[in-house]
Amino acid sequence: MAAVTLTNVVKRFGLFEVVHGANIDIADGEFVVFVGPSGCGKSTLLRMVAGLEDISGGKIAIGGKVVNDVEPADRGIAMVFQSYALYPHMTVEQNLSFGLRMNGNPKADTERRVKRAAEILRIDELMQRRPKQLSGGQRQRVAIGRAIVREPQVFLFDEPLSNLDAELRVQMRVEIARLHKELGVTMIYVTHDQTEAMTLADRIVVLKAGNVEQIGAPLDLYDDPANRFVAGFIGSPKMNFLKANVVEAGNGSVTVELVNHAGARLRKPLCGALPAVGAEVVLGVRPEHFFEAGEGECDIPVKADVAEHLGSVSYVYADAGSEELIIEREAARQRASSEHFTVSIKAERSLLFDKTGARIR
Amino acid sequence: MRHRNATAYRFLTPYLLIFAIFWVWPIISSFLISFQATRTVPWRFAPTFNWGRLIGDPAFFNALKNTLLILVIQVPVMISLAIVMAVLLNSPLLKARGLYRFAFFAPVVVGEVAYSAVFRLMFSLDFGIINKLLNGVGLPKVDWFSNVTPAMALIMIAVTWRWAGYNAIIILAGLQSIPEDVYEAATLDRVSKVKQFFHITLPLLKPVIVFCAVLSIIGTMQLFTEPFLITERGGPGGGTETLGLLLYRQGFRSLNFGYASAVAYTMAGLAIAITLVQLWLTRDPK
Repeated sequence: MAAVTLTNVVKRFGLFEVVHGANIDIADGEFVVFVGPSGCGKSTLLRMVAGLEDISGGKIAIGGKVVNDVEPADRGIAMVFQSYALYPHMTVEQNLSFGLRMNGNPKADTERRVKRAAEILRIDELMQRRPKQLSGGQRQRVAIGRAIVREPQVFLFDEPLSNLDAELRVQMRVEIARLHKELGVTMIYVTHDQTEAMTLADRIVVLKAGNVEQIGAPLDLYDDPANRFVAGFIGSPKMNFLKANVVEAGNGSVTVELVNHAGARLRKPLCGALPAVGAEVVLGVRPEHFFEAGEGECDIPVKADVAEHLGSVSYVYADAGSEELIIEREAARQRASSEHFTVSIKAERSLLFDKTGARIR
Repeated sequence: MRHRNATAYRFLTPYLLIFAIFWVWPIISSFLISFQATRTVPWRFAPTFNWGRLIGDPAFFNALKNTLLILVIQVPVMISLAIVMAVLLNSPLLKARGLYRFAFFAPVVVGEVAYSAVFRLMFSLDFGIINKLLNGVGLPKVDWFSNVTPAMALIMIAVTWRWAGYNAIIILAGLQSIPEDVYEAATLDRVSKVKQFFHITLPLLKPVIVFCAVLSIIGTMQLFTEPFLITERGGPGGGTETLGLLLYRQGFRSLNFGYASAVAYTMAGLAIAITLVQLWLTRDPK
């Protein structure tokens, strides 16, 4: 087991910089998820930890030892790839033992490790099959098994569930969480799926365009995002953003007027520097933080457009002025589409962002 | 549905007619001819005449020996060389990859007569660059055209030059279909590049290599151009005569179509047999 530290890590492809000085501390035994949209640099960052990509600047340390110039095989890591990267001509057993056999590991020890991995992942029955004879979930188990037999200090997962169907993804997510609990080793997991990030991570690193936007526990990111990007990225369905102007500022609070909602106003207490009167801001409200009319401080009329009924909860996609809002409604199953109704916003359940997307606290 | 099929067959009729006349009929006809004595007029049915002669004909066994010798030595050497060339072409370190790819493939599109003439000049005893180079490094001149062993070597060199690049391009396509992350996984498993080549690349290339080998076996069984043009009709003294050349000599010089047909069917039968054996030897374990 080992801690992983990234200090000012930079990656350039030619003149193009894709990771701009990432600083991340991952504690021993922690499960950290790198999440972000496609092209944000999360897989590149993981591959730099693995040693599959050179580091253009900064330092990466594993277990306190700087590994910038250490060969991938000597870093004490094991990686699970998105496409499984199994050896198609070998049986499951041969896939699991290949690395150990090639390095002259004693036969008895190799057998012990393979047996243990097979037991942990419940793939004992599949040992003589080839990858093409396995389902997607079974292949992913074998890929994880191949990582387990290396007995690494750090597990790296590069979007391991992307190729699986929705049901299998949920199942494998639970398996990976169980594996982390069982092995207790450091795990770094890359995904673009914020649900995976929220359910698996001890801490999430949110990346955007090669920058670390925020690092924190899943619920901390959800409740207290550092900026509009994190607020929008974490949470499903995503947060609603309503355009507003500051109309009053003073005594530790601001009053904002919602631009597209016929002058609806909300007074919001703040603890930091107040924005100037007239400043353009954005009010963020999560779908579940719209209340019945009159329950909050600011009512806005909306017109239901489409409703998604998920059983326990429904999401109403509503037109409100020129903005589309997503509203979570427990009672929405009774509502017909094209129905007009009023929702209410509470100041304490809304977030304020400035024009650049930075949070105003 | 039946009506649609009939329409489809009507459209196919012109092609099927040509196929039947120029492909199917000659195949059947030559098989029938192989059971006839064709040096008498009129031809007469004599089932054992040609096939019986084949079994006892030293010229046939000489041609068979030469063909199999070329097959056994040249095909493995060429396929090995093609694999090396494909690996080099696939290397990210290689600059001007497109140029090399073209250069390797170019021999296939060069005219057979032109390339044979150039080879004759290059390997000429007194004026050839090859003997000059041999002399340059202190080795004696080789009379490539008057001795059997050098002449056979020359045929093999020529065929290898002509077809190695072609096979390399096919193998390159196979190499490029191997996912990069398989190698990355092996790198993380501390498997050296050499071991990756032997334990990952080669096994995954097996279907492509088998395909190239089958094509090469069929090609070698029909080998004609090089012994005809470079070593002057299988010379010296029949030392490089192949089954293809024997067939030509019997069929189109002696006009002994019956015997030539028997040789042709032997060539086809051997090519099929060798290919089947090879496919069996390289089959995937269950």
